[in-house]
Amino acid sequence: MGEHKYTGPIAGIFQKMADIIGKDVYYVNFLILMFFTLFEVAAVFFETIPGTDIKITRTAVWGVLIVVGIIKGYGIAAFFMHLKGDPFIYTRTALFPIIFAALMLWGIGLSNPSGIDELPSWCTPNWDYSYVTE
Amino acid sequence: MSGSLHDVKNDVWMRAVIVSVIFLFVGGAAYGAFAVGVGSVKKTDWDAADEVLVEAKTNWNLLNETEAGGTSEEIADLNQQKEDARIAYDEAKEAEIDAHLSYLTWITAGKTLLVMMIIYAAFYGISGFYNSIQPEEEHDDHHGDDHEEHHGSASPIMMAAGLMLFMIGFPGFVNTCKSLLGLDYQAEMGDFGLSIVGAAITIIGIGNWWNEDLKGQHEQIASSEPFQGQDIRKAGMWVFLISETMVFASFFSSYLRMRTGWCTEWAVDAGKCEVVDTITASDLLRHEVGTLLPGAINTFALIISSYTIVLALKVAKDTEWKPSENALMAKMFPTRKKAVRNYLIITLALGSMFIVLKLVEWSHLIAEGFTIDTQAGSIFYVATGAHGLHVFIGLLVMLFMVFKADVLEDGYNEQNGQGIEYFGLYWHFVDLAWVAIFPAFYLY
Repeated sequence: MGEHKYTGPIAGIFQKMADIIGKDVYYVNFLILMFFTLFEVAAVFFETIPGTDIKITRTAVWGVLIVVGIIKGYGIAAFFMHLKGDPFIYTRTALFPIIFAALMLWGIGLSNPSGIDELPSWCTPNWDYSYVTE
Repeated sequence: MSGSLHDVKNDVWMRAVIVSVIFLFVGGAAYGAFAVGVGSVKKTDWDAADEVLVEAKTNWNLLNETEAGGTSEEIADLNQQKEDARIAYDEAKEAEIDAHLSYLTWITAGKTLLVMMIIYAAFYGISGFYNSIQPEEEHDDHHGDDHEEHHGSASPIMMAAGLMLFMIGFPGFVNTCKSLLGLDYQAEMGDFGLSIVGAAITIIGIGNWWNEDLKGQHEQIASSEPFQGQDIRKAGMWVFLISETMVFASFFSSYLRMRTGWCTEWAVDAGKCEVVDTITASDLLRHEVGTLLPGAINTFALIISSYTIVLALKVAKDTEWKPSENALMAKMFPTRKKAVRNYLIITLALGSMFIVLKLVEWSHLIAEGFTIDTQAGSIFYVATGAHGLHVFIGLLVMLFMVFKADVLEDGYNEQNGQGIEYFGLYWHFVDLAWVAIFPAFYLY
């Protein structure tokens, strides 16, 4: 446990960081998760970048929340849940529901006909709601 | 083949009964200290702040009704007095809200800890007593056979039947509890009794399951594709997590659908609409350190608990484990068995803290009028509540794991450490769900 040497473009970075500080990948992953949690809280909490007048826009915060979520999700799934290192069938199993979850988020989540966000056509199914008024 | 069998006497379960008494004592002490002790002081402060508020409001109203004299000096003087009274009222109002929330923090923490400890004690006490009075089984020595037939277990069926009875009586159970707490509700003793019997059967079913697991089992290996050669329990856990992913996906898709239709503070800031029509939980939480703190602490608590459970697994599997050279660490984790147990206890404590902080935060939101009968409130409480329920169920499983780590001669080791790994998958999933829930409901 933890002695496994991780390779690959992203996992390899975690492994390299672990080698540099002389700890295992779990520890590096733990630090990264803590850091990015602080980062996302700060991104929401501050209205400008501390020490500057640069405004943090809502779009930028959105971007930060999504990117940080992906990084944290990868860290937990790959290292804490051992998907990196376990047989690939487990990764396939873990990814299987993602298709359905994405379909639900797209088909239900982004399909509000009275959405004030004026969703662009590429990200909403634009269901025909004519039956509602028939 | 992996897994192991242990010669465990049933009377070892009496230790669980003793620990259940300790849990009751801790729960009572926490309730006494937080809810009764600090809570009554905070209640006095709140009452005092309320009196100041009433006084300030009366003063302001009186001044508003006062007619100014004819001179401009008198009019200016009265206006100044009105302004001072308004400021005093605003300050008194803010102080009253702070005092109320402070009172809620302590009273909710005390009550939550008491209820959690009673539930922990019920699981340890009932399971411990039930298992300790079971007749000892005669062991045969054929367990080394890889092809041994699995005997199966009736415990899950028992647990499910108990849960069914509990849920049938649950609405009446809740009303009876409210009635017993002195609220204006009609007690329904029949349903209350049904729920109690259901809860007891559930706990006994789980206790029986614990007893079977404590004595050990041979790990079953999948013999066909796609998991051929893999531990069946691990594959089963992953398939279970698939279903859990869909549960949380349904919450998120509902939330997203509603959220895209609301004109929130965020949408106004982003220039999507002009007049706010919906207040979300994040609008109430994300602007101040004090309000964001419980959610942020909970996020860190879950990440740390994910790390401690990984450490428990790592130590259990490490046959060459040695105590740390650091004196404090060596004292906390002196042997491999105690290191695993103590990492599990830390995880249990962090998870328990998560539940307490979550309910404290809920109590603040409800006090501010963000209740479940609003659209934004319903999805917030259902999604975060479902997540909290998952954490709590994980804590109940962890209770057994701490017990197992303590009573087995070698505790968890390289032979039976899979139990931690499989539970860890569930616990990390709960952490993963929070990684999505926290930004979606607290920051966005």
